Amino acid sequence: MMEKKEIYVLSAKQISVQQPLCEDWMSQPIEYQQPFNRSIDPSFKDYISPIEARRMGKILKRAIATSKEALKASGLETVDAIITGTGYGCIENTEFFLDALSKDGEQMLSPTYFMQSTHNTISSIVAIQMKNHGYNVTYAHKGTSFDSALQDAVLQLRLGKISSALVGGHDEMTETFYNILKKGGMMGHDDEMCGEAAVSVVVGARNDDYLCKILDFKMLHKPTIERLKAMAAKFKADFILTGISGDHKSDEAYIAEAKELFGDAKLLKYKHLFGESFTSSGLGFYVAAQCLKAGKIPAHLFVNPKDITDKKPSKILIFNHSDGTNYSLTLLEA
Amino acid sequence: MTDRILITGAGVVSAIGCGKVQTLDALLNNRSGVGPLVYLKTEHKEFPVGEVKMSDEGMRKHLNINDKEITTRTALMGMIALDEALKDAKITPDMLPNIGFISGTTVGGMDMSEQYYLDYVNNENHKEYIAVHDCGSCSEMTANHFGKFAFITTLSTACSSAANAIILGANMLRCGEADIVVVGGSECITKFHLNGFNSLMILDTQWCRPFDATRAGLNLGEGAAYLVLETEESAKKRGVKAQAILSGYGNACDAFHQTASSPDGEGAYRAMKEALQLADIQPDKIDYINAHGTGTPNNDLSESQAMKRLFGDKVPPMSSTKQFTGHTTSASGSIEAVFCILALQNGFMPVNLNWSQPIEDGVVPVHQPLKKELKHILCNAFGFGGNDSSLLISKPEL
Repeated sequence: MMEKKEIYVLSAKQISVQQPLCEDWMSQPIEYQQPFNRSIDPSFKDYISPIEARRMGKILKRAIATSKEALKASGLETVDAIITGTGYGCIENTEFFLDALSKDGEQMLSPTYFMQSTHNTISSIVAIQMKNHGYNVTYAHKGTSFDSALQDAVLQLRLGKISSALVGGHDEMTETFYNILKKGGMMGHDDEMCGEAAVSVVVGARNDDYLCKILDFKMLHKPTIERLKAMAAKFKADFILTGISGDHKSDEAYIAEAKELFGDAKLLKYKHLFGESFTSSGLGFYVAAQCLKAGKIPAHLFVNPKDITDKKPSKILIFNHSDGTNYSLTLLEA
Repeated sequence: MTDRILITGAGVVSAIGCGKVQTLDALLNNRSGVGPLVYLKTEHKEFPVGEVKMSDEGMRKHLNINDKEITTRTALMGMIALDEALKDAKITPDMLPNIGFISGTTVGGMDMSEQYYLDYVNNENHKEYIAVHDCGSCSEMTANHFGKFAFITTLSTACSSAANAIILGANMLRCGEADIVVVGGSECITKFHLNGFNSLMILDTQWCRPFDATRAGLNLGEGAAYLVLETEESAKKRGVKAQAILSGYGNACDAFHQTASSPDGEGAYRAMKEALQLADIQPDKIDYINAHGTGTPNNDLSESQAMKRLFGDKVPPMSSTKQFTGHTTSASGSIEAVFCILALQNGFMPVNLNWSQPIEDGVVPVHQPLKKELKHILCNAFGFGGNDSSLLISKPEL
C-alpha cells in the first residue's frame, strides 16, 4: 500500500434547485412541494458568449459556469485534470434526437442534437473553454458517477500523476424524461423530489485557502455486511451524511444500515433540499465540504431533530449508496 | 520505473469473430468482417458495417440466458468477451468479490430505447427496458452474469471509453486498490449513432480506406473486449503468466472541437508521448502502432501529423484495423488492444487493408503482410470531444 498524500478540497460550487453559486441554502433553504423541479439558473452571460450559449444545452452551460467559478475560487490558474461524472449525460439533446428519429424517420436529421448528446460532451466542452489539454475523462455509472470521478482524481493525486483536478457531477432532467423514469420505477417514490445537479469541485495539494481535507475514499459493489463493517471501522466520523431521499422503504433500510454500521454517529441528509438524481452525491460532497468550512451544520440537515447541535464538525463521512448496490464512503475533515 | 502491470487474460468479439482464435485467424488471413447490414433495423442499408455475426437471440442462446432476463445487445457482447477473458486468466466466480470491473460504453441500452422510445412516452409497453437505458446498467448487467465483482464503474468518453477503462484499471493496481481488475468496453451499433454519424457526413458508403488519399469516412462496427490486468505479485501467487505488459498509457484532451480533431493532432501527440514517458521508452523502440485510423479525412490527417511530430521522419510501421471490424466506437480501445497482444504473441503486423494511395504529406501504412518480432506496440483510441488515449503494450520477456 502506498503512502497517502494529503488531498484538499480547494473549492466547491453548485447550480441546483437551491440558489445557484452560493450557500444560501444553509440559512434560507428553498422548500419545494412538487416532485419535479428544474434548477435555478444564474445568468450565464458572465461565463459564455451569447453566440456559443445559443447552441448549448442547459447541462453544458451549468457545467461551464460551475467549473469556471470553482477554478476561480480554488486560487489555481489551471488544473491538471478534468474529470466528470454524469449518470445520463446530455439527456435533453438525446431526447430531441430520439424524438426526431422516432417521429420523423431517418432521412432528415440535423447533426446539432447528436453532436451534443454524448456523455463526454460535458468534460470536453469545459476543456475547450479552459483550453486545457490535461487528462480528461467522463464516468457514467448510475448513483456513483460523481463518486467514480472523485475516485479517479484521488488515485492520480496519490500516484503523483496530477497535482490538481476539476471534478464535476452533472445531470439534467426534462419533464418527459422524468415521466419516463417514473414509469420505469426509478423516480418519484413517495416524498422523493427529483433535482438536477451541477457541481464542480477542485481538489489537489493544499493551497492558502481550502474547504476541507479528503482523508479517505472507497467504492464497493454489493458488499457483504462484514465488508461494510470493516470499512466503517476505518471511516470513523461524528456525522454521517446519508442519501435518504423520501423513498420510504429505501430510506428505512438506509437508516437501519447506517445505524448498524456507525452506531451513535449523528445522521444527516441533503436530498430533501437538493433532490435526487444520479449525480446528487456530488451535491452531498459539496454540502459536507461547505459545512466543514463554515464550522457548523444547519439544523435542517439532521435526520433526527434531537441530534441537532452547534458543535463544530471535525469530520463528516459521506455514506452514499443506491439501492444497496454501489456504495461509496468519503471521509472529509475540516 | 513503476511496478509492471501484467495482462493475464483477454477476450474479444467483433465482426471478425468470436474469441481470440477466430480473431487471430482473420487478422493473419486479411479477412474483413465488414459487409452489408444484416441485424440492425434501419433504413440506411447503403452503409457497410462490421456487425457481430449473431442476432441478440443467438447471443442469448450462446450464453444460456433464460427468457425472462432482460438484456441489451451491448451487454450481451460484453458477456461473450468477459467470459473468454475470465476463463483465459483462470478466474473463477469465487474470486470476483476481490476483483474490480471497469467497462466503457456510450450507447448503453440505446438499442432498446430507440426501438421503444414512443412507448416509453405514450404507454406502458416495454417499460422494463427504461431502467437499463443508462451506461452503468449495461456494465452491471454484463458483470452480474458472472457473479459479484468488488467494484464496478463505467467510462464514457465516446470512442476512447475502453482505452480509458484500461487506464483507470492500471492506476487502481498501482495505488494498491486491487490486485486484479477486468477492464475494457462494449458497444453495439445503434440506429441512434448510425444516424448521428450520417448527419455529420462521416460515414462512407464504400468499404472504408484509412490513411488512403481517397478515404471518405468510416464504417461503423460493434463488439466487445476485456483484458485482465494483474499485479506481478498476484500473478505469481496464482501461477498465471503474463501474455503482455501494459507498460505505459497516456490520456490528453485535444480541446479543439466537439466533433473534429485539431490539424496538428495536439491531443493525440500528447497521449502517445505520455505513454512513452510513463514506460520510459524512447520513440525508436516502438515497433508498430495500431492507429485509431477511422478513415475520416479529418482523423487520419490529424493522427498522421501527431505521429510525425512525435517520431519525426522515423514513424514506426503503423496500420489501422478498422477495415477488419468497422469502427467499434467505445469498444475499439480494448478490441484493438487484444489485436496488439495477438500481434506481439505471433510476431506480425495487421495489414492496413484496402489501401492504395498515400495521403499527400501523410504516413504510409503497413499494406503488405509483415511477419516480424515485435516488442513494443502503441495502440491509439481517440474520441469525440478530443478524448485521446494511447496504450503501450509490450512483450513480457524483452
